[in-house]
Amino acid sequence: MMATELIPVSVLTGFLGSGKTTILSHMLRQPEFSHTAVVINEFGEIALDHELIEKTEDSVIALTTGCLCCRVRSDLTKTLQDLLRRRDEGACTQFDRIVIETSGLADPAPILHALMADTALASRLVLGNVVTTVDAVAGELTLEREAISRKQVAVADRIVLSKLGLTGEVEASLHERLTALNPGAPTSRAVYGRIESDNLFCVALHDPKARVPDISSWLAEAPEHNHSAHDAEIKSFTVVRVEPIEAVALTLFLEALAEHCGADLLRLKGIVNVAENPQQPAVIHGVQHVFHAPAWLRHWPSDDHTSRMVLITRRVRREWVEVLLDAISAEVAEVSASNR
Amino acid sequence: MRSLSIDLVHELITQSLAAWHVAGTVELTGDCTIVIDAKPKIRIEPAQAGSVFRWTITIAGRTRPAISLLAVLRQVRRALDPGYAACRVRVALLPVAPS
Repeated sequence: MMATELIPVSVLTGFLGSGKTTILSHMLRQPEFSHTAVVINEFGEIALDHELIEKTEDSVIALTTGCLCCRVRSDLTKTLQDLLRRRDEGACTQFDRIVIETSGLADPAPILHALMADTALASRLVLGNVVTTVDAVAGELTLEREAISRKQVAVADRIVLSKLGLTGEVEASLHERLTALNPGAPTSRAVYGRIESDNLFCVALHDPKARVPDISSWLAEAPEHNHSAHDAEIKSFTVVRVEPIEAVALTLFLEALAEHCGADLLRLKGIVNVAENPQQPAVIHGVQHVFHAPAWLRHWPSDDHTSRMVLITRRVRREWVEVLLDAISAEVAEVSASNR
Repeated sequence: MRSLSIDLVHELITQSLAAWHVAGTVELTGDCTIVIDAKPKIRIEPAQAGSVFRWTITIAGRTRPAISLLAVLRQVRRALDPGYAACRVRVALLPVAPS
């Protein structure tokens, strides 16, 4: 199922002062963002960011009860449900996308959990891009000092380098650091909030205007990367299988990853050729121990029907993941054969 | 696809110990038994024909069955990794057809 009425929810994250609100404010002035609902979370008792966003619609909501990632996950769920109700009742703009701006101190993973784990929301919403802003001036120092900023970069689908109006150029060492943390995420540049890429929140997989889903862009596949000593624990790699994978084997594989990796599985996204339904690829994604219910694309976007799963992990060995999938697939095949 | 062989299971257990950062060596004996030389010592063998279980695990002299490789991994890790707290979240079975 990949119904076009699913509304993509994108997450805009980034460390304190990295320019999230400036970028969002600029983007919301663009005509193509006129049907966007925004949820803003601030860490503090008084919300300010939503005041900085010039938007006359009532589809900007500020959550001020605490950091989104740890205290108000249920509030986020309720807020999104309320937004959908108001949309259904015609009480607000018929928005076609939602953007959540997180607090600068937020771990984005639990927020993604909240979006993926609520079954009521899952029938209406689909996770869009995770966009992470990085301050081109102070970003390197922040990445050095703040583990949460490294995690924000690691889970990103896209990275935006901000404050280029102040620095002009980006230090090569910052580029190297970002590549080490997340080699697959394309990087855009923002100057005074203006971003060179106009498709920051476009989600190729879920874009009803796109005739063919852009799988490669969504997966952002990258070869296994050698990391600097600072980020040696975080790595990304792609598991590829030419032969279809039985549904049970895929389920057990994901369960084993969740059970044994837990918080060390920062992100997993993939397109899988499921043996029982090879005509339609299954799209899977998960964050830590939570996996979204798989969605089915109508058809394969190209002649390439290989299964590809991109994992961004901390301290998880690729060799183990590869042999785990092989062994589980082999055992499931053996059991299936013996039951025939 | 690789077929399920004792060599593949041996490779899985070897890689698992490395992935979990637990000490121990893994050997495959001539009678298709995987022996983990660690504390405690563990033996993994295919279950006898006709059993509803697929594997037999002996940990510190106590033998128990396992219904799948996932169950084997869970028992081995529990025995070797005192800091292990399995995530209880279950992944829903992948629907085999679009709904």
